[in-house]
Amino acid sequence: MNRISTGDQALIRRLKVRDETAVGELMTQYHAKVMGLALRLTGNRQDAEEVLQDVFWTVVQKIGGFREESSLSTWIYRIATNVALMKLRKRPKIEELPLDEELGPKITGEGMIAETVTDWSNLPDGAASRKEWMQHLEEAVRRLPPEYRTVFVLRDVEGLSAEEACKILNLSIPALKSRLHRARLFLRKEMADVAETRPIGMRSPHA
Amino acid sequence: MLKCRDINGLLHDYAEGLLELSVHKELDRHLSDCPGCLAFVKTYKETIRLSKDLRTGEMPPELQEKLESFLKAKLAEKPKTLWDRLRSRFGRGCC
Repeated sequence: MNRISTGDQALIRRLKVRDETAVGELMTQYHAKVMGLALRLTGNRQDAEEVLQDVFWTVVQKIGGFREESSLSTWIYRIATNVALMKLRKRPKIEELPLDEELGPKITGEGMIAETVTDWSNLPDGAASRKEWMQHLEEAVRRLPPEYRTVFVLRDVEGLSAEEACKILNLSIPALKSRLHRARLFLRKEMADVAETRPIGMRSPHA
Repeated sequence: MLKCRDINGLLHDYAEGLLELSVHKELDRHLSDCPGCLAFVKTYKETIRLSKDLRTGEMPPELQEKLESFLKAKLAEKPKTLWDRLRSRFGRGCC
């Protein structure tokens, strides 16, 4: 279970009595986290800035009713995810992701792999092409349907534990796992498609 | 014996280190003589590794200031006391 740190407890108390200086502190502590999350979830700066404002406003408004059953950061992440999801749902619908089997390599009737899989995992960390590579990944993340994107961002980008992400998204562990796996498969496939069509800065597999 | 078909379903737990040791070892054995699955698993893990670097959380300083003053102003105007509410309803323009 999440225990609320003494620092957070003091901050919460001050926000509850509407101490103005606490607002500055809340923002210093959380703005980068919320902004990063909002950027990843919405995929564009303007939406992310709107999400950010809504989130802090909601936190300030609702702090009186915050029962401190989860940590302050889990609560704030939950608000941020919900605000971003509401925004994403207003956009034109993106269809569901294909099933796991269709996102992985093709398999023969005998259960053997039926295609050549390019290994693009050798990209040197400092390579100039790495930037380009990361841009492809960012674009692919933007193409993920919202329900998958939220899971992926909380787990793989923000690095939250499965338990924490479940609490924030109100999902069961199996549902979370399945969405995360499918999101990763989708991203891997998108990257593989890029690597196969125009290899960027990769070492030869036999080097 | 694991077949290529089984890898996809085990991959999430394999990458998270959640597989039972015996299954984990069996998967490793399969990867050691299946270059296709090995490339699949390596690129799946690389996707996870690269995703960590997507994290950027900078907020333009002017936005930070704007937001902070907006919140402080909102905070100052709430909660309204009974007196505030009566004054806003009946007292406008009288004094």
